[in-house]
Amino acid sequence: MSEEKWEPKIVAFVCNWCTYTGADLAGTSRLKYPTNVKLIRVMCSGGIDPVFILKAFERGADGILVSGCHPNDCHYNAGNFHARRRWEFFDELLKFLGIEEGRLQFSWVSASEGKKFVDVVTKVTNDVKAMGQFKAYKDLNDEFTAKFPEPVLNEKEIIMSEEDAK
Amino acid sequence: MKIGVFICHCGENIGRTVDCPRVAKACEWLPGVEVSIDYKYMCSDPGQNMIKKEIIDKKLDAIVVGSCSPHMHEKTFRKAAVAAGINPFLVEITNLREHCSWVHDDIEAATEKAIEMVRMSVEKVKRDQPLTTIEVPVTKRTLVIGGGIAGIQAALDVANAGYEVVLVEKEPSIGGHMSQLSETFPTLDCSQCILTPRMVEVYQHPKIKLMTFSEVEKVDGFIGNFTVTIRNKARHIDEDKCTGCGLCITKCPIRKKAYNSFEENLAHRPAVYVPFPQAVPNIPVIDETVCTHYKNGKCGICVTVCGREAINFDQQDKLVTEEVGAIIMATGYKLYNIDKKPDDSIYKGYGEYGYGKYKDVVDGLQFERIASASGPTEGEFKRPSDGKEPKKIVFIQCVGSRDESKGFSYCSKICCMYTAKHAMLYKHKVHDGEAYVFYMDIRSGGKMYDEFVRRAIEEDGVKYIRGRVSKITEEDGKYIVKGEDTLAGMPITIEADMVVLATAMIAQPDASTLAQTVGIPYDKHGFFNEAHPKLRPIESTTGGVFLAGACQSPKDIPESVAMASAAAAKAMVLFGSDKLEREPVVAKVSADLCAGCFLCKKVCPYGAVEVREVKTRDGVVIKEIAYVNEGLCQGCGTCTASCPSKSVELAGFNNEEIFAQIAAL
Amino acid sequence: MDDLRKYAAELLEKGEVAAVIGYQQVSEKRTKPIIAKTAEDCAKLVFNEYCLNNLAVYLTKARVKELRRVNGAVLKLAITAKPCDVHGIVALIQESQLKREDVTIISFNCAGVVKDFGMDFNGETLATKCVPCDTHKPLYSDMVFGEEKETPKVSDEVLAKIESIEKMSAAERFEYFKAEFDKCIKCYACRAACPLCYCQRCITDKTIPRWVESSAHSRGNFSWNVVRAFHLSGRCIGCGECERACPMDIPLSLLNRKMVIEAKEAYSYISGRSLETPTLVGSFDVKDSDELFM
Repeated sequence: MSEEKWEPKIVAFVCNWCTYTGADLAGTSRLKYPTNVKLIRVMCSGGIDPVFILKAFERGADGILVSGCHPNDCHYNAGNFHARRRWEFFDELLKFLGIEEGRLQFSWVSASEGKKFVDVVTKVTNDVKAMGQFKAYKDLNDEFTAKFPEPVLNEKEIIMSEEDAK
Repeated sequence: MKIGVFICHCGENIGRTVDCPRVAKACEWLPGVEVSIDYKYMCSDPGQNMIKKEIIDKKLDAIVVGSCSPHMHEKTFRKAAVAAGINPFLVEITNLREHCSWVHDDIEAATEKAIEMVRMSVEKVKRDQPLTTIEVPVTKRTLVIGGGIAGIQAALDVANAGYEVVLVEKEPSIGGHMSQLSETFPTLDCSQCILTPRMVEVYQHPKIKLMTFSEVEKVDGFIGNFTVTIRNKARHIDEDKCTGCGLCITKCPIRKKAYNSFEENLAHRPAVYVPFPQAVPNIPVIDETVCTHYKNGKCGICVTVCGREAINFDQQDKLVTEEVGAIIMATGYKLYNIDKKPDDSIYKGYGEYGYGKYKDVVDGLQFERIASASGPTEGEFKRPSDGKEPKKIVFIQCVGSRDESKGFSYCSKICCMYTAKHAMLYKHKVHDGEAYVFYMDIRSGGKMYDEFVRRAIEEDGVKYIRGRVSKITEEDGKYIVKGEDTLAGMPITIEADMVVLATAMIAQPDASTLAQTVGIPYDKHGFFNEAHPKLRPIESTTGGVFLAGACQSPKDIPESVAMASAAAAKAMVLFGSDKLEREPVVAKVSADLCAGCFLCKKVCPYGAVEVREVKTRDGVVIKEIAYVNEGLCQGCGTCTASCPSKSVELAGFNNEEIFAQIAAL
Repeated sequence: MDDLRKYAAELLEKGEVAAVIGYQQVSEKRTKPIIAKTAEDCAKLVFNEYCLNNLAVYLTKARVKELRRVNGAVLKLAITAKPCDVHGIVALIQESQLKREDVTIISFNCAGVVKDFGMDFNGETLATKCVPCDTHKPLYSDMVFGEEKETPKVSDEVLAKIESIEKMSAAERFEYFKAEFDKCIKCYACRAACPLCYCQRCITDKTIPRWVESSAHSRGNFSWNVVRAFHLSGRCIGCGECERACPMDIPLSLLNRKMVIEAKEAYSYISGRSLETPTLVGSFDVKDSDELFM
């Protein structure tokens, strides 16, 4: 892929009640943001496992956003408070291990903050664009692909056949 | 597995920026997809029929609908799927409208994104498990927290519909702030005259259990099934024996040690008291902090005079448990007390205008008491410092409201109206008096409201000055009010005898604590949050908890009453069926794999995780494991992310489903 | 030493405990764990600067737990634990793996242990985990033996290494850790030696879905080491057994220590120090830092 045609792949893990709904509001308000980001909806930011982040990097994500309800505003009262501690540790760990700052970002976006959702998503996209392709993880992924050809299909087949076995 | 993909154009809404036929075509080739079609309006009857027909004809196992937000039409498409014989939880919605077509302009990029989004949904739906909705019983009783006008109205409405109500009020009497008011705008009818019959009705209602001097301490459970623990504070008077004769009150020798909070500290009250003569219930309370008995064990005059032996100094707080199905929050408001600055408070303290320093600078509720026929001055306008009749009063609006630097960003909504009322009441009694009002804007929306303000200005000659007051100083019993008349563009100085501040309406100081107890969100000011600002203004986001009155935002009486009736109606809607259906999005622990670290139990916001013992055949406990009570679980999934061994999964959002979405990125 | 042996034998004799988990000498500068079930076994018990293992790891092993069931009754277990090992026991109690009343803690005043068997105990050979140690007396115990001794003062190499890594650029850090993790052969000795890795089925063994790629290649190795370090964040008691167990000499202590520092700086929390405070992971404070979030 040539450098100028490269578009970052960004995934956002968002909670159902605030950020997902905030993104809905951005839509109803016809606000615009880059197409790079794709949302994965979970019920609460407290339910986002750090391994999801690793998995997304393994699948070639160049940037990741984790977003939930503001503190005190959580649909489930406290899920986001637990999330906050979890991410504080995980972020610190990733930074120490050499994952560039900005690859993984966090926000609180409420259901009424359509504009903020747009700002956050645009910022993450711009940050990641400025950083370029996620070289470090891409190398890991390429190495993996070289060692295990057609890894994606392979793994999917494994999951499928395990499912069939059930 | 056969999957059907249905792409909706939503008229032009999706179709304009997403090339729907191309998306449908591209999705045909996704593994597992049997059929992929696009249509103008998928949610229309023909659209739904098409989905049903395809499901039956092609023997589909699951479907993906690319349309608007799942919050919009997920239910519609699930219903269609059920009608065609597939499980409603094997339906995935791809949000092509709010999250794609509406937010992008570039057709090429938006179409590409749409295809990827559908692909993610297809991968998820492959792993979706059929689920069955959970049925839970409904306890047809309501808890109303707060016995002001909103709480009273809500309690009466629910009780009159035939359902039991528990009404909890933290003060010794119900009535709230409305009982303190002199007259009400815009009709100027007497507040107590319209309120007290309602209070008595509550007291006598066979379906209402009234608990005054009580506070909610703990709320467990969920919609339809709450268990509430209420602390009934010790009055030190036996409620069953007391007849409300008031002899203890008249004979109590401690007359001047405590301020009367009902009179907004403009008068004193004895150590044994009822807040006001029309209190409901008319049972006094002994104030431990000032009563001589609690100081040295002496006095006891009340014991001697009480013919019913109702005084009980040793009475303790009682904890009462109530089972209810719905909770109505009606905790009301407080006025911004501008002279105090508690350290840990979110309120900054206004610190201006000499409130708390000059006796004749009073707030709105204090003025209500001065104007009230039952108040400390018996309705005569006498200023607090020397009891003289004020000949010139300055009213200042927006004290703390619409002022982020000194108070709050919001408008307190009622001050424009009550200030006009105050000025009017004053002018009606003191004909030669002068009333000045400093205002920022007059906000008098409401039936007959603007006419009311006009009447104050035009008929009663209240002088309105547009501008802020900068400073108030005292000189020989006069208050020098310096301000600006922005319409005339010049500074103005008024020598007033009295100043009335329309201080902001704020949430009760313990509102946030109560919100955490009940489990509902609140905003940065401590007002409770509604589930949707437009379409669900009565519900909180927690199922079965409804909001009424000024606890949600500043409101006047008719608005509070309307909201209370709406909350009552919401509770009754809940009681319309014997069983509640809820989404089966709940967590489940794998008993074999759980190591029993109980991190899930620690993080669960609902206490839904229980400890279960695993025993051998001879009854020896081998290990303790976690178990999720699906009645209590609300499906947030915080446990699943916390579990180190991944032994707990959230139905409908399990990790396999999420991994599949990530893999399809 | 005789006190310890006598005490342990008495516990067994009185039927108070089913077994005593302790150390026995195998050569002059080497010990190994022993599960003493008889007075004879107890005569072998030792405590010295060669008692490297953190025996708390055995408390959650099924075969050891099984020992508690004697003739239909369920007895306690006794364990000889260095003050630092007691932290592990505390953490296990906090995480519901153990009840305080189920274990008799026999501890010692400790001045540190050697880096590895066969070394002489002097300042230079002090184990890295002992360098920053501040608990030379046990915080919880049922019996304490041994004299208080001076701990040698040694420079904190792990801390210095962490600081030097923090000075690197992100890319350099990534390369450094990638090279270290590349050595990993996925033997999971780190997991087996860790007293707090007590899960019955580790996340890495979960196949549907596959959480951590289990073959030994860079990507899977990276994931595994991140997940291991993350799962111990706020929980690790710093016993260093993972690093000692690692056959490939991956500097696991760097990560663990880094997260211990983070827990201390951000939340003033040190794992395994108090049975009264709630665990860091699993609790929250509304006043926790919000800096990370936009």
